[in-house]
Amino acid sequence: MTVTILVAEDEPLMRERLLGMLALAWPDAQVIAAVDNGLDAWDAYLEHAPRVVFLDIRMPGLSGLEVAERIGRQAHVVFVTAYDQYAVDAFDAGAVDYLLKPIQPGRLDKALARLREKLDSQPMDVSAVVRQVKAASPAPAREHLKWLKASVGKQIRLINVEEVLFFQADTKYTRVVLEGSEALVRIPLKDLLGGLDADRFWQIHRGTVVKVTAIRAAERIDAERMQVLLRGSSEVLPVSRSFTHLFRE
Amino acid sequence: MWAGIAKWYRQWEQEQLAVLQDPALARQAPFGYRRYVACKLAALPLRERQELYRFSVYWRGPRVWLALAALCLVLSVLGLLLHLAFMPAAPWWKTVVAANTIGLALSASSAGVWFNYRKIARAKLRALASMVGLGAIGGLFGTLIVTVSRGKPWQELIDDLPRTLMLVTGAATVLIAAPSIVLAVLRNRHYETANAQLQRDAEQARLARELSETQLRLLRAQIEPHFLFNTLGAVQQLAQEKAPRAAELTAHLIDFLRASMSDMRCEQVSLATEFGLVESYLAVMQIRMGERLRFRIDLPTGLAATRIPSMLVLTLAENAIKHGIEPSLRGGDITVTAHEDAGQIRIAVNDGGVGMSDTPGNGTGLENVRSRLRLAYGESASLVLSEAEPGLLAELFIPRKDAQ
Repeated sequence: MTVTILVAEDEPLMRERLLGMLALAWPDAQVIAAVDNGLDAWDAYLEHAPRVVFLDIRMPGLSGLEVAERIGRQAHVVFVTAYDQYAVDAFDAGAVDYLLKPIQPGRLDKALARLREKLDSQPMDVSAVVRQVKAASPAPAREHLKWLKASVGKQIRLINVEEVLFFQADTKYTRVVLEGSEALVRIPLKDLLGGLDADRFWQIHRGTVVKVTAIRAAERIDAERMQVLLRGSSEVLPVSRSFTHLFRE
Repeated sequence: MWAGIAKWYRQWEQEQLAVLQDPALARQAPFGYRRYVACKLAALPLRERQELYRFSVYWRGPRVWLALAALCLVLSVLGLLLHLAFMPAAPWWKTVVAANTIGLALSASSAGVWFNYRKIARAKLRALASMVGLGAIGGLFGTLIVTVSRGKPWQELIDDLPRTLMLVTGAATVLIAAPSIVLAVLRNRHYETANAQLQRDAEQARLARELSETQLRLLRAQIEPHFLFNTLGAVQQLAQEKAPRAAELTAHLIDFLRASMSDMRCEQVSLATEFGLVESYLAVMQIRMGERLRFRIDLPTGLAATRIPSMLVLTLAENAIKHGIEPSLRGGDITVTAHEDAGQIRIAVNDGGVGMSDTPGNGTGLENVRSRLRLAYGESASLVLSEAEPGLLAELFIPRKDAQ
């Protein structure tokens, strides 16, 4: 089976460089997407479920650390950084894979050799190390969205994010469902994700984010599929496979 | 009993010295007169406390008794001489006692003035009035005693009252009040000069420290590892496939490094130099970030030679990249402009990035810019940040005083 790879790096030249070097060093692997920000990285991850993810730490949208936290132990993560001494020390201590920019061929070969050995086993959970690095980094946590603007006819409606039951992707728009009403917002769901508190709004599907307190129950449909029942709405939302772990006992 | 008094004295003296060194100890003194004195001492300004402490330590123990004995001896000799010269008829011991009393009182009051000069110099009239008043009361009291002891008639006392009063008041003014106040004023002037000098020294030391800290921070910002490694990575990548672009990027990087190394050593540079530095920085970032960054730099030729503190505009441009463009999904346009208006130069850095709300951790760079403006221009220059649509607008306002 071909190994699938996702590359997320915001500087185009650095991205090209990594892609070029990967093509040389690991010709039978397949790069399924190369993106330039964290939100696209997360979206591409959900779409393609790659086995290996290369994540630049400093990226717009979501940082590489935040994307890794969301991925959890569902893919092999390799961080890429030019210089984050604290992170590098933590990665060394936690045996987390990383590459230093500018990436040098010898160093990449070593990292890939380590990676190939691990491919058959379950990926390690990097979230503990990531939390440690995030806690020590000087940049404070991102501010969460409070208000959404939705146009309804000629009016602009202001929606308090707290009142939203769930968000659903609708091509370029996002459907925002509240108790008793709903609206369309002109921002794609993947761009909204960075502004939502991941502890209070769970993504349960590539196209669905639901407020945790609005979940009445989650039920199993068969061995692989689940769905969520809500408070305040009769809609039933499917849980995709990547997110069933949220409801595992 | 003697031992008891000596012990009490030693204890009290120790307590006072301790309070002079550390005023916080005043609250531990026992209630009553000792607490009162300790609190008075603690309330003195630092410099006076230090003077009093040095004085007390110097005159501690037998030295003060020897000095007092010497003073008494001198005063007694003086009294005897006065006795022989002016009133050989009266008993000699009376002039000796009087000379000692007056001499010791004068010494004690001079000592008081010596250490209380701040208070006296601040309220000269009140000090004068109280000294003259006390002198007059003392004089009257003395006359009263003389009248009673010699059995003179009261009428004489009342008749002589205006003359006595004038005499005593005059003597008190000339002998005690005037010299005391002159002494206090002189001491106070000395104190104030010394104090002003101390403050100037402290201010100078603070400025020097701030300057060297700023330079250190500049140095650190200069060799930002992220900047260097990412740029070198870009050079390496370009070198493989697009050699001319690699050469171009390397040229910008060299310009940037060369200019910033020499700028860092200068306190002031011309706007042309500073804008050149900013341009090479932004050119490096533009090649690295691709279409996410566009920039425009505009410096009117009339301002090219104007001198400003080095690295200020660069710090604003770095901030615009770091907090405006890098976190933004779409990227943005950076414009760096300067123009003159009514003797004031306005330098504006505008990024079309994410704006103020999403820019955490930009405190140190801007704090640095503000402190360097303060160092160079005092209150007449400023840095103003405002929300632009989109992004952030940073404006430097600098007085134009030294075009060369």
